[in-house]
Amino acid sequence: MRGFEYVRATDVGSAVALVSGDPGASYLAGGTTQLDLMLKDAVVPQGLLVDIGRLPLRGIATDGDVLRVGALTTMEELAADPVVAERVPFVSEALLAGASTQLRNMATIGGNLLQRTRCRYFRDIAVTDCNKRTPGSGCAAVTGAARMHAILGASAHCIALHASDLCVPLRALDAEVRVEGAAGQRTIAFADLHVMPGERPDVETVLRHGEMISEVLVPLLPAGTRSGYLKVRDRVSYEFALTSAAAALSIEDGVITLARLALGGVGTVPWRATEAERVLVGAPATARTFLAAAEAAIQDPFTVPGTEFKVELAKRTIVRVLRTVSGEQS
Amino acid sequence: MTALDRVDAPLKVSGSAPYPSDFTLPDQVHAVLVQSTVAAGRISAIDTTAALAAPGVLAVITHENAPPLADLPMTPLGAPPRFPFKDDRIIHCGQHVAVVVAGTHEQAASAARLVQVSYETAKPVLDLDDPRAEVVDNGWGMEVDVGDAEAALSSAEITYEETFDIAPEANNPLGLFTTLASWDSDRLTVHDCSQWPIMTRQALATAFGLPESDVRVLVPYLGGGFGAGLRAWSHTLLAALAARVVGRPVKLVLTRPQMFTSVGHRARSRQRLRLGMTGAGRLVAIDQESTAALGAEEDNFSAVVLGTPHAYDCPNVATHDRQVRLNIPNPGFMRAPGHAEGNFALESALDELSYRVGIDPVELRLRNFAEVHPQSGLPWSSNALRECLQVGAERFGWRDRSPVPRSTRDGNWLVGYGMAGVTFGWYAAPCRARLSILASGTAVLKAAATDIGTGTYTIAAQQVAELLGLRVDQVRVEIGDSDLPPAPQSGGSGLAVALTGAIQVAAANLLRALLDEVAADARSPLRGRRLDEVTASDGRLHLIDDPAVGEKYADVLARHGLDELTADGELDLAAAAADAGVAPAGAFAARFAEVRVDEDLGLLRVTRLLSVVDGGRILNEKTARSQIIGGTVMGIGMAMFEEVAFDHATGRVANATFGDYLIPVNADVPDLDVVFVGGPDAFSPTGVKGLGEVGVVGVPAAIANAVYHATGRRIRSLPITIDQLM
Ligand SMILES: Cc1cc2nc3c(=O)[nH]c(=O)nc-3n(C[C@H](O)[C@H](O)[C@H](O)COP(=O)(O)OP(=O)(O)OC[C@H]3O[C@@H](n4cnc5c(N)ncnc54)[C@H](O)[C@@H]3O)c2cc1C
Repeated sequence: MRGFEYVRATDVGSAVALVSGDPGASYLAGGTTQLDLMLKDAVVPQGLLVDIGRLPLRGIATDGDVLRVGALTTMEELAADPVVAERVPFVSEALLAGASTQLRNMATIGGNLLQRTRCRYFRDIAVTDCNKRTPGSGCAAVTGAARMHAILGASAHCIALHASDLCVPLRALDAEVRVEGAAGQRTIAFADLHVMPGERPDVETVLRHGEMISEVLVPLLPAGTRSGYLKVRDRVSYEFALTSAAAALSIEDGVITLARLALGGVGTVPWRATEAERVLVGAPATARTFLAAAEAAIQDPFTVPGTEFKVELAKRTIVRVLRTVSGEQS
Repeated sequence: MTALDRVDAPLKVSGSAPYPSDFTLPDQVHAVLVQSTVAAGRISAIDTTAALAAPGVLAVITHENAPPLADLPMTPLGAPPRFPFKDDRIIHCGQHVAVVVAGTHEQAASAARLVQVSYETAKPVLDLDDPRAEVVDNGWGMEVDVGDAEAALSSAEITYEETFDIAPEANNPLGLFTTLASWDSDRLTVHDCSQWPIMTRQALATAFGLPESDVRVLVPYLGGGFGAGLRAWSHTLLAALAARVVGRPVKLVLTRPQMFTSVGHRARSRQRLRLGMTGAGRLVAIDQESTAALGAEEDNFSAVVLGTPHAYDCPNVATHDRQVRLNIPNPGFMRAPGHAEGNFALESALDELSYRVGIDPVELRLRNFAEVHPQSGLPWSSNALRECLQVGAERFGWRDRSPVPRSTRDGNWLVGYGMAGVTFGWYAAPCRARLSILASGTAVLKAAATDIGTGTYTIAAQQVAELLGLRVDQVRVEIGDSDLPPAPQSGGSGLAVALTGAIQVAAANLLRALLDEVAADARSPLRGRRLDEVTASDGRLHLIDDPAVGEKYADVLARHGLDELTADGELDLAAAAADAGVAPAGAFAARFAEVRVDEDLGLLRVTRLLSVVDGGRILNEKTARSQIIGGTVMGIGMAMFEEVAFDHATGRVANATFGDYLIPVNADVPDLDVVFVGGPDAFSPTGVKGLGEVGVVGVPAAIANAVYHATGRRIRSLPITIDQLM
């Protein structure tokens, strides 16, 4: 029987040293992604699991206009935080729209950022064509039963979706990620954390092997800025997004003065709609503006049979979230 | 109509009801299946060296070393599935190709990953329209042809023709199917997830060349079946085979992904429906044709168009059932097979026609009500469809709706009402029951029936208690054991009718035996009395006219030195139906749904769902209601969520997990309103009609019709998803 080793880390330094020194080692936080992939689906090789669950990286603190979130804070804890609810409510909304209560009580913020795609072709080892698992082997999803797949940042090499809800508002907020590595600490801009698949879908983040996320820095929105998260899916709950959008707007005298917009359910990485933000800022907060922003947001989609509808659905999701956040009714 | 709590509820709630996977035998070892990753071709090589060398492994069984088994017998529900270890051929993805047996489950699972299978692959046939596919016409001989549908269609005032598509669905009972097989020299005992212990026994006995008396199949509890337990699936045979090979008891538990390919599913279907109608809304012609998927070497024909011929009064009816052989895992029966699909087409079409002829959908169904059975012309044994429709319309507030589509809006939501009529089938199979009174004055019922979660234990205990004048807690029900008197399957909604009928016969026989016992007993106040003079209450048999004259069961047995007094009851309703002079009826129902649709985002929410059901006499309102509620939730799944996604190129199931295969969650299900109407059925000896499946039927049509009323958009393919609605 193939075994694996399990170590419960007692401090950050030794955990980082252990994983950095063993190419087959990985961190175990809440385990809701990692245990499935390693033990149930056997998609990632079995190796040393370093359980970081008891490290003192759990908790939320306000530091001026930044919220410092320990990587081991659970999704439920962050969702329930009063500062989050008041200053960045769309973070709380995105968290609560994700998974189930049971999962959110186990799953950590650090793990959420690094969750692997739900692509069934990636997660089924009987499938041989998966560039993410075996570089150069092809992509079975492109010709397969695609639906929960990406249309932005995707290509014939890979259409695997980054399915996190939390990452969508974090991307909109320009959060930052603090990591501890064998070579010391560094801070990574959220925009840089996830890497577009290109021709190497197996490379998913800029993290070096053994680097541990210790903290996520979440900038708080200025007072008066409103935010919202809209997740569109078949079921009312307990399903990943077909499309989602996180928006924050400040509006003065009917004119948009601040706009942050990011998309979920459509991108191979958490997707910032920069072009759309450009359309929004300085424009009147009207349906026409929102429509123009939606058009600007979805450019050069890569679709396959089964994902075409997401192009239009994503636009409508954007329009709806902007309407809701702006308080505009029709 | 009582609402007694389930007699097995405390066991289930406390986790002590023994399901097949809960049993453990001394010396037990574990089997894990290896399944084909290709859909067609042959196994060119299978290398088990690494698996055999893995820790704890006792055996790896493949087609190369498996002892041969005899072919399985035909069953009343159709041919058995092909046994996959017969040869090296692969006919579907997920076909079992090896069984690894090891000391622990983990050892077996780990070694199973080491079995190296090489395939010579062929291009699989996966599409209903693939010209290479073999087509079976009218495989079950269930087609109906009365009058002249073609001629009536060509002369009808109003004609209709549309096509309906329904995605394949997986039964997915929560309890993973398990077999625990053990041999005692040449006697085989199997704990299995069977809805039909007698059939499983026969299959195993035939396969291993044993007399049936040497095979025992046990299913005291089953974690759901929904039709998945109605066939002798090969994992059951393989567990028994593995136990024989290693000489120890073997437990085999399917994984959730394996459940999608190993125990059947509702086949993908496409129906073409043509209707002819008068301007006054009377049906003059129905021509309904279905094309459904079938396994590649599968002869389990399952007709789709089952309910239509007797649903409404129509002089010209033709149905056609075609099956197309594909390289897919064998379909099988899934709750309300055929009925659920056929009803979706017919009731959607009637809704469309109601708008065309300008007659309210409820009224349109009432106009076409079948006063007598449309084909035989015989009076119904019961048919409260009219009452279902009328009570439902009243209770739902149907008449308050604005009949014009797209006319009700609430913010971003369009609101719509839809309804459907429902006609279920009648099915009966012979059943036996054995009833005993013990010296303690309590009773025991024995039958090889199963309780698949429907409440068989409860209604059987209630009925015995009522007939023998005992409290429910004085009745012990023993079922789920093939050694007991033969009973039919829990499936086809026929068991409640057959079993309660057999219990009634057994109870009469038992009381007659008791009277015989005291016929010459000078000390018995009942000596010389006839059955029609007596009745039972409070644990005693007494005169109907003078309750003071009688005595306790316990006293009779004590005086006569008896440990127990036993009688069998047997009932063959199908045989009796031939000259009954009535058309035996199944359940009828009407469904009313309210939906909200956010058109921009394609969101669909069911906000109200009412079921009005004619189930004959309702023995237990609580278990009956639970059956309807459970069925309705499955109907919501069929309407809005469920689809087994077969990969177009490889035939693999691309969503074989509960994370990817969507079923309704609590938040998708509104409070479900259930009302029972009608009275005891005149043909069923106990007045009971089956209720286990009708709960599914009509839900998809009611929802689709409500979507049309809300949006003006007609959806003829299931599931109805966001991309269809936006
Ligand atoms: C059924 C189901 C439904 C779900 N639905 C949703 C949903 O709707 N929306 C959504 O957003 N998410 C959803 N999820 C994903 C869930 O949110 C993630 O699995 C979870 O957040 C991962 O956190 P974890 O602590 O369990 O991570 P783990 O499983 O422990 O780890 C995940 C990965 O991150 C690595 N890792 C963990 N912590 C660190 C760290 N501090 N530093 C470096 N590496 C680390 C691990 O090595 C591993 O590779 C769902 C998951 C499941 C199983």
